[in-house]
Amino acid sequence: MTNDERRASGVLVALLLATSGCYDGGESRDPGELATDTGGESGGSDGTTDDDDPDAEPPVIDPGAAVLPRLTADQYRNSLEVVLGPGQPVVALEPDTNPYLFFNIGATSTTLSELGTQQYEEAADLITQDIFGDPDQRLALVGCEPAAPGDPCVQGFLEEFGRRAYRRPLLPDELLRWQQITVDLGTPDAWEGLRLAVAGMLQSPHFLYRVELGEPDPDRPDRLRYTAFEMASRLSFLLWNTTPDDALLDAAEAGELLDEDSLLAHAERMLADPRANAAVQEFFAQYFDLGRLDGVTRDVDVYPMFASSLPRSMRTEIQLLVDDFVFRRDADIRGIYGTRNTFVNDELAMLYGVDAPGASPIAFVPVELPADGPRVGLLTLGAFLTMNAHETEPSPTLRGKYVRERVLCQTVQPPPNDVDTNIPESEGEAETLRERLERHADSSVCAGCHSFIDPPGFLFENFDSIGAFRTVDASGFELDASGELDGQPLANATELGPLLAQDARVGRCVATQLFRHAQGRLELTRELPIITDLSERFADDGYRFKHLLTTLVRHEGFRTLAREEEGA
Amino acid sequence: MSRILSRRTLLRGAAGGAAVSLALPPLEAMFGTRGARANGDMDEPIFGIFFWANGTPWHAGHGGMQGGGGYPDLWTPAATGPGYAPSELLQPLAPYAVSVATGLEPKTMVPDQPPGQGDGHMRGFMVALTSDRIRPDGFDHPSHTLTALRPSLDQYIAKHDDFYGSNVPRFRSLTMGVSEARFHDYGHWNAISYNGPDSLNLPVLDPAQLYGLLFDVPADTGQLENRAHLLDAVMEDAADLRLQLGAADKIRLDEHLSHLDEIQRRLELSVAACDDPGPPAGAAGDLLAKTEVMAQILARGLLCGMTRVFSFMLTSPATTHVFSNLGVPDGMHKTCHDGHWDRVRDITRYQMEAFAVFLGVMQQTVDPAGISLLDRMLVFGTSEYGEGWQHGNKEHPVIFAGQACGAIETGVHERQTDGNLSMAHVTMLRALGIPTDSYGFNGGETSEHLSSILAI
Repeated sequence: MTNDERRASGVLVALLLATSGCYDGGESRDPGELATDTGGESGGSDGTTDDDDPDAEPPVIDPGAAVLPRLTADQYRNSLEVVLGPGQPVVALEPDTNPYLFFNIGATSTTLSELGTQQYEEAADLITQDIFGDPDQRLALVGCEPAAPGDPCVQGFLEEFGRRAYRRPLLPDELLRWQQITVDLGTPDAWEGLRLAVAGMLQSPHFLYRVELGEPDPDRPDRLRYTAFEMASRLSFLLWNTTPDDALLDAAEAGELLDEDSLLAHAERMLADPRANAAVQEFFAQYFDLGRLDGVTRDVDVYPMFASSLPRSMRTEIQLLVDDFVFRRDADIRGIYGTRNTFVNDELAMLYGVDAPGASPIAFVPVELPADGPRVGLLTLGAFLTMNAHETEPSPTLRGKYVRERVLCQTVQPPPNDVDTNIPESEGEAETLRERLERHADSSVCAGCHSFIDPPGFLFENFDSIGAFRTVDASGFELDASGELDGQPLANATELGPLLAQDARVGRCVATQLFRHAQGRLELTRELPIITDLSERFADDGYRFKHLLTTLVRHEGFRTLAREEEGA
Repeated sequence: MSRILSRRTLLRGAAGGAAVSLALPPLEAMFGTRGARANGDMDEPIFGIFFWANGTPWHAGHGGMQGGGGYPDLWTPAATGPGYAPSELLQPLAPYAVSVATGLEPKTMVPDQPPGQGDGHMRGFMVALTSDRIRPDGFDHPSHTLTALRPSLDQYIAKHDDFYGSNVPRFRSLTMGVSEARFHDYGHWNAISYNGPDSLNLPVLDPAQLYGLLFDVPADTGQLENRAHLLDAVMEDAADLRLQLGAADKIRLDEHLSHLDEIQRRLELSVAACDDPGPPAGAAGDLLAKTEVMAQILARGLLCGMTRVFSFMLTSPATTHVFSNLGVPDGMHKTCHDGHWDRVRDITRYQMEAFAVFLGVMQQTVDPAGISLLDRMLVFGTSEYGEGWQHGNKEHPVIFAGQACGAIETGVHERQTDGNLSMAHVTMLRALGIPTDSYGFNGGETSEHLSSILAI
C-alpha cells in the first residue's frame, strides 16, 4: 500500500465512521500544509498493518522545517538549575499559552511581550545578584578566583558556562563579546564583570530559544539533520523538560547522538532518571488538559463533598495512574481507560465510596474499585468528570467532546455560523438535561454534530459535577446513562472504558499528541506517514509509553528536517 | 522580587555623576519625572480600554429570537443627544457623564473556512478591539484557537508616532485586569491587548505586581546603566541568528529585540521616578474592591506620567467568573447560555458599578492645576458582543468616558442603527489627534465618526 493509498483509505474509514457532516475526516481544516489527523487511519485496522511484513516498503519520511521554540516557563526554571545549580530564586515570567493543548506549541508560535522581556531582564539580574553576592556560591559556580577581567579563570568559565547556556560551544565572536563585557563592566572588580556576562547570556536568544536549525544530512542532500548538539537539546527537552546537562553535551561533543544506538542508550539512561518522570507527567497533564481543573469552583452547599483541595487531589490521582502505567508497570497505556485500579486519598475515597485504609489528606493508597461498581478507568474518575461539567450540572456535550477529541483524536466541527447553540429549553413538561439535549437530534442542523458528541457523553450521566455517583439529577429525575460509540450501544461508562483500552485509535492518538508536543507544532499532511509509523511501532511494543519515547527519539522524523522554510 | 531592590521614595537628580537625593513634599514629588514638563497638561490625552465580559442582557434589538422572551432593553437610553437620561444599566455611570453610542455592530466579513469564525464571542471581541476580523489562517474553533490580524486599539495608539511623538513616557502602555477567571487556558482568551498575530500583552492581575512594575525602581543608577549597556551585547548576540531564521520566526525574534530597545530606554530613564504611594494593602475582596485597588495604582502612575495608554480587563472574554455575591450559582458564560436573563442583568449592572468605581478613582485623581485624570482621558468601555444568550453581535455596547482633553463631548447618546462598530474607533483616533482617513478592515472599513460625540 502506498502512502497515498493508505491516506485515502484512512479518509474512507473516517467517512464511514462519521454518521454526519460533523466529522472532519482529513485535510479540510486547513487549506495549507497542516494536517488534521483523522485518528481513523489505523482505526479501520488493528494498527499493525504492514509492519510484520518483511517486504513492506519503509515509510517515506518527509519532515517539516525548523521551528524556534522559546523555553516554556518550566523549561526556563529547570534550565537555570542545570546551568547555575539548584536552588535558584523564584522569578516572575510571562505565562505560557497552550494552543492545541501544548505549551510547546505556544512556545513556537507566540511572540514574547514587552513585559515578558522585561521579566527576563529582571530575572537575569536578580539571579546573578543572588549567586555573585555570595562568595561561596560564586566560587562554587566559577571554580576559580578571577583576578582580572580577561584572565584564564574568566575565559575558562565563560567557555564552560557558555556551552551550557547555549547548548553548544560558543563561537569565537560570542566568546569575545562576553569577554568584552567582563572588561567593560568589570568594576568594581572582575566578579561584577563576570556576573554581568552571565546575566547577558541568560538573556541571549541562544539561551531563551532552542535554536535547532540543522546541518546538511550526509545521507540525504535534499534535507537537513539535527546536529549532535541539537539532538542533545531535543532529547533533553523531550525527556527531561530542561536544557542538556554536561554529560549529554559531552556526548554531543564526542560525536555521539547521531545514530540510533547512541540515542537509545542515552534515552534509556535518561528515562531511568526522576527528571523523566516529571517530564512525562507534564506531557500527560497537558494532553489530558488537567490545567482546566485549576479554576474549578463548586458550591459546598450543593456539593458537600467538595473542598478546595479536591481538584488538586483529582489531579494527583491521574499523575499516580500515569506513573503506574508508564514507570512502575511499563504497561499498555490504553489500559488507563479500562483499569479498576486507582490511587485515592481520603477525600477521593469518600467521593468514590471505597474503603482505603491508610489514606489521609496527603497519603494516596492504591485501591481496586469494586467490580460491580460504576467506575472503570480514567473517564470515570474525578478529574475528567469534574472538568467537563458546569457548576450546577454536568455536561454530556463536553464529556462526549473530550472522548472524541482527546481520547480518539477526532475533530468535532463547530456549530454552523448563526445557529442557536443553546440547549433547548424545556417545552411545557419538565425534562432532564438529556431529554433537552436529545432534541438536538430533532434538528437537522444540530443533529450532525450532537449525534457524534452526545451519545458517548450520555454514558457519564450517573456522575454529577464533582464526579459523585448519582441515579437522579438535581430535579429528581431518574437518569439514563445509556449511549453509544460509533454505532455500538453501551449501557453506561463501565462498558466504554474496556473498549477504549483495546482501541487502536487510542494508541494512535497518544502517538499523535506526543509528536505534536515533541515538535512544538501540529503535524503537516506530509508527516502523517511518520505518525502512522510511530503508531505501528507503538502497537508492536504493546503500547508501552516509554517505548514510544525511545522509538520517537530514534525516528528519522525526529532527527531530520526540511531544508527549506515552509512556503519560502 | 524585591530582595535586592531598594524602594525609591525620593526624587533623584544627577549632579556631576553622583546621585543626589532630595526630600520633597509629596505633591511636588509626583512631578518632574521627565525634565521640567508638568503633567496634567490638557494637550496630553490619556487613552484606555475598559473591557467587561458577555455583553448586555438580550432584547428584541438583538434579533427575533432574543426578542422572544419580551425582555426590555435596559441598555439603550430612551433619548438621544446631549443630556440624555441614563438607562437602568447605565445609571451607575451617570456621575461621570459618559457618552454612549448604540446600534453599532461588527461589519467584517466572515469567511466560510475554516468554520466557526462567526462565533459571536470571537468575532465580537476581535472587531471591538482591533476593528478587524479573526485571522482565518490557523483558526480552529474546536480548540478555540484564534488570533488577531493586527494590534488592538491601545497598541495601535501607543505605537503611533502622532500620539507620543518624541515624548515617549516610561511605558508606552500598561495592561491590567481584575478577575482571574478564565474561559480557556489559551492566551487570547485571557488578554484584550494585542501587538499583532500571536503577540499578546497579558494583563497584570496582581496589584503587588502592578505596583512593583511602576514604583519599585532600583536606586543604584550605576547598576542600571550597566544593565542597559549589557542589552547592547544581547542584541548583537542575536544578530547572526536573525539571518538564519524563517520569515515567521524572524518576526518573532525581531519583536523580542525591539522590546529590548524599550527595556533599555526604560533602564536609562530610571534616574527619575515617581513618588511612591506605598504597596497595596493585602488581598482585595470582590471585583469592586479589587477594581479600586488596581485603579488607584494605575492613577498614581498616570498622574506622574508613567504612561498615557492602558487597557483594563475587568473580566475576560466569555468569562467563567462566578458572581456568587449576586446569588448566581454558575459561571457567567454558562449563565448566559442557559438564558438566565435576570441574572445577566444583575451581573451587567454590577460590571457597570465596577466601571463606575474605576472612573471615580480617575475623577478624584487631580493634578495641582485642578485637572483630573478623567478630564484628560478617553476610556473606551466595551465588551465582546451585544448579548451572551445567542452570542448576538448586534447592539454592541460602546461607552466613551472622559473628555480626552476636550476632544470628546460628554453626556451624549448617539444612535446609529445597524451602524458600523468601526465608527467608534475612527471617533477615538480622531479625538486623540491621530490622522485617520478610515479605520476598520476586511469589510469593517469606514471613514465616518460619531459626529455628536467627537468634539473637534
